Amino acid sequence: MGNLLLSDEGVGVHVAQRLMEIDFPPEVEVVDGGTDGFGLINVFLRADRLILIDAIKGGEEPGSIYLFELDECRPFPDDYKTSLHQISILEVINLSGLIGPLPRITIIGVEPKSIQMGMELSPEIESKIPRVIQLVKEEVQAALSGSDRGSLHDMSQP
Amino acid sequence: MGKRITIDPVTRIEGHLKIEIEIENGKVKDAWSSGTMARGFEALLLGRDPRDASYVTSRFCGVCFSVHQMASARALDAAFGAKVPWGGTLLRNLVMGAEYIYDHMVHFYHLSALDYLDIMAIAKYTGKDPELNKVRDKIVSLIQRGDTFPLTPRYEPDEFCVKDPDVVISAVKHYLDALQMQIKAKNMGVIFGGRAPHYQSIVVGGVTMFPDINQVARFHSMLDELATFVNEVYIPDVISFGMGPLLPLARAGLGGGHQNYLCCGAFEMDEVGSKLLFQPGVIVGLNPVEIKIKPFNPQKITESVHSSWYKKESKPKHPYDGTQVFDLERKDAYTFVKAPRYNNLPMEVGPLARAFVDKDATLLGLVKDYGVKSGVVARHAARAIETKKIVDAMYYWCDELTAAMVKPGFKIHDTEHWDPPAEGEGTGFFEPPRGCLGHWIRIKDKKIANYQAIVPSTWNASPRDERGIRGQYEESLIGVPVPDPENPINVVRVIRSFDPCLACAIHLIDPKTNGVRKFLVE
Repeated sequence: MGNLLLSDEGVGVHVAQRLMEIDFPPEVEVVDGGTDGFGLINVFLRADRLILIDAIKGGEEPGSIYLFELDECRPFPDDYKTSLHQISILEVINLSGLIGPLPRITIIGVEPKSIQMGMELSPEIESKIPRVIQLVKEEVQAALSGSDRGSLHDMSQP
Repeated sequence: MGKRITIDPVTRIEGHLKIEIEIENGKVKDAWSSGTMARGFEALLLGRDPRDASYVTSRFCGVCFSVHQMASARALDAAFGAKVPWGGTLLRNLVMGAEYIYDHMVHFYHLSALDYLDIMAIAKYTGKDPELNKVRDKIVSLIQRGDTFPLTPRYEPDEFCVKDPDVVISAVKHYLDALQMQIKAKNMGVIFGGRAPHYQSIVVGGVTMFPDINQVARFHSMLDELATFVNEVYIPDVISFGMGPLLPLARAGLGGGHQNYLCCGAFEMDEVGSKLLFQPGVIVGLNPVEIKIKPFNPQKITESVHSSWYKKESKPKHPYDGTQVFDLERKDAYTFVKAPRYNNLPMEVGPLARAFVDKDATLLGLVKDYGVKSGVVARHAARAIETKKIVDAMYYWCDELTAAMVKPGFKIHDTEHWDPPAEGEGTGFFEPPRGCLGHWIRIKDKKIANYQAIVPSTWNASPRDERGIRGQYEESLIGVPVPDPENPINVVRVIRSFDPCLACAIHLIDPKTNGVRKFLVE
């Protein structure tokens, strides 16, 4: 996921582009999700297992890498009152859950340095891409070995 | 001085719009519409190969990306002197048509409908329908878990909200069905769009996806399914709400605004482009009984930065000459959105503008038979009516494509004009779901020398201009009843009826507000 026009915000798309060059087994699909919201419901629902790569604002040093399960992340801001908020990827996931079983979702994030307009990554972020790719490969390996399959977030059933 | 309140953001799902209103005696006295995020992606294009424009601009927005690709390709077509063959035009139309169905359905069910429903009434459904009982149990269990996004949060239901459990539950069922349907519409677009998200097939001179007959058949059968939903669910829902419980709002003309309308025209219906599905035209001060259409002349478009955080200019500029130099110190500015004007007048763009400019018989029928006035309800109705128009046209384009494909010399692209000219300029107009979109390109030394886009929401969300004339959102809010300042549901209804989209899609997950615990890898 990410916006290619906002420098490090697009790190997910840059990673996806590199992943597309890797010879994964046929059951692995790499999707450049870009900035699409609703369009990704489709992708989320057809996956047995999902690894989402995005820029994450976690307050650590730029280039820090985060890895967590969707479970560990709450979609609602704490100070939520009457205002309505824009869709985030977490909300798209919730929306998908209304109509179908969701796969287990792991989020791999990179702390951006710059989210200014620009189509290149900052050098600090660029240098972390090999490590992100390695993490993705490890997750894929674990998924393919069959040990972590299954639906954990089936909100489509009462 | 009345009481001032701010609604930020306004969009249910796609954001960056702030509305400030002043209330006096329970009504909106004045309003300010503010885009709170800087755009100006155009700057990224300067010095690039012009052909990059359709790819780069398709990343402008997370919601309406393909339409930028389209407008950009049309600007390039003009600048390169490319002549898109009929096959290319048909494929472009089909991809955009799929986008319309998706966009309008999502707008009604997922972004707007909940402003007109008391969702909690669902728990009181006592009917026997097993499907609806399943829906009720699902929603109730979500409510009990406190996990109800996107069905909540919401404003407090007022007297216009539907509270009948039978109606509410069937609407929520349709909300869920529409989620499935929008997936189908997206999948349909991908057939000729090449990939998703961010279709890639639309380029200068035509398209890059050569169709085969199986793809057309697949497209056709998906269209059948969507057509059934549009005709049997979407349109009946909009009409039964609009001409039922919302009729008082429809008759009051809530959210009508300036009543100036602009459509730049779109969707060729023949090879020479002499007939369009949406006719271009301009209406100044609508009189629904006798609609007067003026011809659309792009030279009359200017953009003012009078109220926007850009360097002050002596007078409004034509988009070819437009610049984006930010000036955040200006005290008299309140938005990043510029103020486009046509012949110095603010315009509404979008489905209602297209319908009035087209003198659409179905919409004018609602005006005549039910006394519906221009405004919120008419806007939703125009959107639904237009979806059917698009669906019908898509069948025609499918037939035309099937016929064209078997003819010798069938082409989808003008390969003669693939190389950029040394110098040139071109304008690309299109009518995306949200209204008139224009891209302007100037080429020097085979590179992009200037690029400007005026997007639909810029027209509608524009601020005041030099003459102090409000933009269409602002004007539409004047006089809107707000009996309770804590619950400005009518204000939200008005703004949402335009289908605002100022999202340039920064979608960082913020672990602070989203409550992520620490998961640092390194």
